[in-house]
Order: sequence, then C-alpha cells, then structure tokens
Amino acid sequence: MNERLKTRLGRLELANPVTVASGTFSYDYADYVDFNRLGAIVTKTITKEARGGNPTPRLFETEAGLLNSIGLQNPGLDKFIKEELPKYNQWKAPLLVSLSGSSIEEFCEIVARMDEEDCAGYEINVSCPNVKNEGIAFGVDPKVVFELTSKLRKHTERELIIKLSPNVTDIVSVAKAAKEGGADSLALINTLLGMAIDWKTGKSRIARGVGGYSGIAIKPVALSNVWRVAKAVDIPILAMGGISNYQDALEFFYAGASVVAVGTENFMNPLATIELIEKLDMHLESQNISLKDIIGKVKGVIL
Amino acid sequence: MYKKCLITAFEELKADYFVLMIEDSALAQVSEPGQFFNLSCSDGDIPRLKKPISIYDVDGSEIAFMIKKVGKGTEYLSKLKVGDSIDVLGPLGNPFPLVSGKSVLMVSGGVGYPPLVYLKKKLEDCEVISIHGGRSYDDIFLCDYPFTEDGSYGRKGLVTAHLEKIIKKHKIEVIYTCGPDSMMKAIGRKALELNIDCYLSLEEYMACGIGACYGCAVKVKADNEQGYIYKRVCKDGPVFEVKELWMEDK
Ligand SMILES: Cc1cc2nc3c(=O)[nH]c(=O)nc-3n(C[C@H](O)[C@H](O)[C@H](O)COP(=O)(O)OP(=O)(O)OC[C@H]3O[C@@H](n4cnc5c(N)ncnc54)[C@H](O)[C@@H]3O)c2cc1C
Ligand SMILES: Cc1cc2nc3c(=O)[nH]c(=O)nc-3n(C[C@H](O)[C@H](O)[C@H](O)COP(=O)(O)O)c2cc1C
Ligand code: FES
Repeated sequence: MNERLKTRLGRLELANPVTVASGTFSYDYADYVDFNRLGAIVTKTITKEARGGNPTPRLFETEAGLLNSIGLQNPGLDKFIKEELPKYNQWKAPLLVSLSGSSIEEFCEIVARMDEEDCAGYEINVSCPNVKNEGIAFGVDPKVVFELTSKLRKHTERELIIKLSPNVTDIVSVAKAAKEGGADSLALINTLLGMAIDWKTGKSRIARGVGGYSGIAIKPVALSNVWRVAKAVDIPILAMGGISNYQDALEFFYAGASVVAVGTENFMNPLATIELIEKLDMHLESQNISLKDIIGKVKGVIL
Repeated sequence: MYKKCLITAFEELKADYFVLMIEDSALAQVSEPGQFFNLSCSDGDIPRLKKPISIYDVDGSEIAFMIKKVGKGTEYLSKLKVGDSIDVLGPLGNPFPLVSGKSVLMVSGGVGYPPLVYLKKKLEDCEVISIHGGRSYDDIFLCDYPFTEDGSYGRKGLVTAHLEKIIKKHKIEVIYTCGPDSMMKAIGRKALELNIDCYLSLEEYMACGIGACYGCAVKVKADNEQGYIYKRVCKDGPVFEVKELWMEDK
C-alpha cells in the first residue's frame, strides 16, 4: 500500500492499521477476503489442550450487539500447530497467535512451544479463569498480570500483546501492570458481560446465561477505555469493540489506538476489513494526512 | 461467494410464507439441495446478522427461497420487491447425499419443507413419499401425508405418529428430514431402531455461517470421555447422518 497507512504495533511495522478480533475470523474467510491485504492476522484463542466449548445455544443477537458463549472451543496447541498454522502462514500479513491458559506456567509453556514455530507474536487472552486463584480471571488483578507478563517476556523476543478485559474495576492499573511486566503493546477491549432472556418464556437466550457482549453497542465503552489507557501508558494499543467502518476506526485512532481490529462486523459483512482499509486510505488522502498525524490527537477534551 | 443479487420474483404464499427468487448463474450452478445461503436482512438496522435460508429451488440461473416470516430479519425479507437487490453469502454447508433407485421418505415440519422440495427434484429413479406437518392449515404444503397439530388439515397430530406404519407400507430405505429439532430426533430414533439410513438437516443460531465463530455447535458422537464433541452446523453440516449424532433432546 502506501506510507499514509503504515503504523507501528510494538516491535512490528504494519503495512496498514487493520486486523481482525480474535475468535471472529479464521482462514474460512479466505474465500472472501484477500488476507495479504490485512495489516495483521489474529487467530482464535488457542489453549494447550483441546477445548470442547460451551453448551448451546451459544449466540444471540440482542440490542445493537451480539451475545456469545463459545467457551474457547479449539483443537489444542499441537493440532493447531500441525493443521492450522501452515494455513495462516501462507499469507504475508504478520500472524499474531491468541492464546490462553489455566495457570501462568501453562501460558509460558504455550509461548515457548510457539516460539519454535513461525509467527510474528502473541496476543495473550487474560479473560479466562485462573485455576490456581479460585478461578478468578487473570486479567482482573494487576499483580497477576504483572507476574504473567514478566514471565512470558522471558520466553519470547516476539511481539507480546496483553489483551485486556473491560470487566474490571480499573483497566488503567491492569494496563500499567502489563507494561511494567514487559508487554510491547495492549489489545482492548474483550467482550463485556451480557445476558438476554426471552420475556415470553422466561428462558435464557444462551445456555450459559451470561455471555460476552460485542458489536456496535460496546463501541463507546471501548473508546473510553482506549482513551484512558492511551493517556496513562505509552505503548501502542490494538483497539477493538464495535468497529464496523472507517469512521469508527478514525474515532479509535483519535482516542489513541495505533491499530484497529474488526470483530463482530465480519459476520454482518465479510468484506468489512477490506472496505475499511480502502475507505480509510481514501479519507486520509483526501485530508492530506497520514495515520501518525491523528493517533491520540483527540480534541475538545477539557480535563 | 459473497454477492449482491437482483430479486427477480416475489410471491406471497399463504399466511406468513413467501417465495423470493434471485438471479445469478454462477451461484445457481453450484447450489445443491441441503445447502443454504446467508441472506442479508438489514440496511443497517437491527438485526444485522445475516439469516440462514435453505435453497428451495434452482431453475436455470435463478435460485428460489421459501421463507416464513417469524421475526424482524424474515420480515425485512418479506418486504423486498422485484428489482431490489440483496447481499447473499453462499452456497454454504454440505448438501444431502443423493441416492438413486431407492424408496425414499421425506419428513418435514414448518420451514423444514423447502430444502426437501429441491432434494426431491434432484433424486433420480427414486420413489419418494413425503410427510409434512405444521401447526395448522396455514403451515401445510403439497405432500403425500399432511399433518396438523390442531387438526385443521390432514391428519391431526405430530408427523411422527404414523411414521412406522408409513415406513413399512412403502418399504422405505432412506429418510431425509428437516424441521423442528424434537421432530428430527424422533424420526432419527425410529430410523436407528429400524436400521434405515437417515439424513437430518439441522438448524442452529448462526453468526458467520462459514465455520469461523463456532457459534452454531451441535453434539456429534466421539471417542472421548463425554462421548461427544461439538461440530459446526454451518460448515460440518447442516446435513448429518443420524448415526453420527449425539441424540439427546434439547
Ligand atoms: C441451515 C438453516 C436453513 C434454514 N432455512 C430456512 C428456510 O428455507 N426458510 C425459512 O423460513 N427459514 C429457514 N431457517 C430458519 C431461519 O433462519 C430463521 O427463521 C430466521 O433466522 C429467523 O430470523 P428473524 O430475524 O426473522 O427472527 P428472530 O427474531 O431471530 O427469531 C424469531 C423466532 O424464530 C426463532 N428462530 C430464530 N432463528 C431460528 C433458527 N435458526 N431456527 C429456528 N428458529 C429460529 C426464534 O427463536 C424466535 O422465536 C433456516 C435456518 C437454518 C439454520
Ligand atoms: C463469537 C466471538 C468469539 C470470540 N472469541 C474470542 C477469543 O477466542 N479470544 C479473544 O481474545 N476474544 C474473543 N472474542 C472477543 C473479540 O475478539 C473482541 O474483543 C470483542 O468481540 C469486541 O470486538 P467487536 O465488538 O468488534 O466484536 C470473541 C468475540 C466473538 C463475538
Ligand atoms: S455460524 Fe459461525 S461457525 Fe457456524
């Protein structure tokens, strides 16, 4: 592409600032999307052992968003490396592998193993329960996030992204802990907690009751989190949460994001990523600016 | 394929049912019975998720869908007119395996009817017997044995009521079924009991429709502790053989 769209995510120089949100995109989209045009590719979260996933129903479209309760269904690390990684590595876009574990040791084991394979970096999904800490999610406790990040840092020289959950008291302190632990960049936000009930029957729309809420509805929440984290922490931000077009993306750049990811919108429009890249480029050209000129440059905020 | 297609025909059927036809020769050529399309049902308003709709017929370069209005997405589709265009993603999923020279039973309920109509057209040298059931007269379409829950047309009761008698009478060798989950499971159990091949076309709530999100999961038998794994209705199905499925009621 061109200079206007170039951006930096920690150790990586990306040709453009558009990628995909973990779990919403896979090589199945290759029939529709030219993966070589993406700034980066992010995989679905991989765990050490295969995971069967949650009971069904797992999805429900509700007010301006989507509830999901997939339960990290994935084939496990070995099968991922054998069967899926080669498919992703046929494209030149940098590959970021999303991963999760049930203990700090398990996270480290996965990163160490992946480091023997070809990929550009890791997005660490800390929204899952820590079995050694009463099942409390890793991502809620800054101390745990610091310990996890600093241990992971010892296992890799590749891009290390910590993906933050919005379901915490203070996302800024978690972000600071990740940076101090050695993260190169931060991804935010993961899904909010949400629920839907059929008022006619009283039945929960998804089997697990509470699920992850994503899509347009969560955009303002994501934007405020990105802005607050960007102000407090000086490492690049990969932003997601309700981004469906180039106008949404621009808002996130002004708030402080260096890269944006399209998630739920892929389901509504499989070409959303490509359209976003094209229209963003046209917009920047028409304004005669480049991305670097606007990142973090939100105006009109009186503190 | 993901395309914008022109609507070339629209026909109201009775009650909430209607038929929508799109034109695209490339899509028509590769559309097989049992497959579906994800149809865009929104100009930006909610719902924004595409809705899965089975292929009802293919005629030359035209593809027909038969749809029941049940909520906002299908209501949007019911308001489309000839000359409008619509974004379609597909054809998706795996088709029904075709048999020839067999005695075939098709059992449908409600909007399970359309994929079996296209299947019937594609089966060669088969004797096809069809059972169709619905809540009332409004839900009944052309078939050999109509059933209604309220008795307003055909026989009163569930399609499964006379299943065994019909199977034996027509010496059925293969069953294809699509409809409510409980109906398909009941038919599947009968097929297992009588050792007849039986293909079910399952329905699950979908998001991507192409295998990426793992939202449309269904339990399939497996050699593990639990006895099952989750597969994707959109990509691994929607058609499954009864012997593969973990047969519990939802
Ligand atoms: C593979 C597949 C093929 C299908 N083929 C056809 C077809 O040929 N013709 C047709 O009319 N319909 C078909 N359906 C069902 C159709 O997709 C749903 O009726 C539609 O998504 C409802 O959307 P809505 O926005 O109108 O209603 P919503 O507001 O989403 O739902 C209205 C009501 O319908 C129920 N419903 C929603 N989604 C489904 C579903 N997937 N299955 C069963 N009930 C549902 C809801 O629980 C609710 O009670 C198919 C579904 C699948 C998965
Ligand atoms: C169906 C679905 C599956 C998801 N799976 C994962 C996952 O495996 N790992 C992860 O870190 N986030 C996962 N997410 C969260 C997204 O990556 C993203 O953070 C969130 O959806 C917000 O972005 P959006 O509003 O653009 O979808 C998933 C979201 C959805 C909708
Ligand atoms: S709907 Fe996404 S995997 Fe089936």
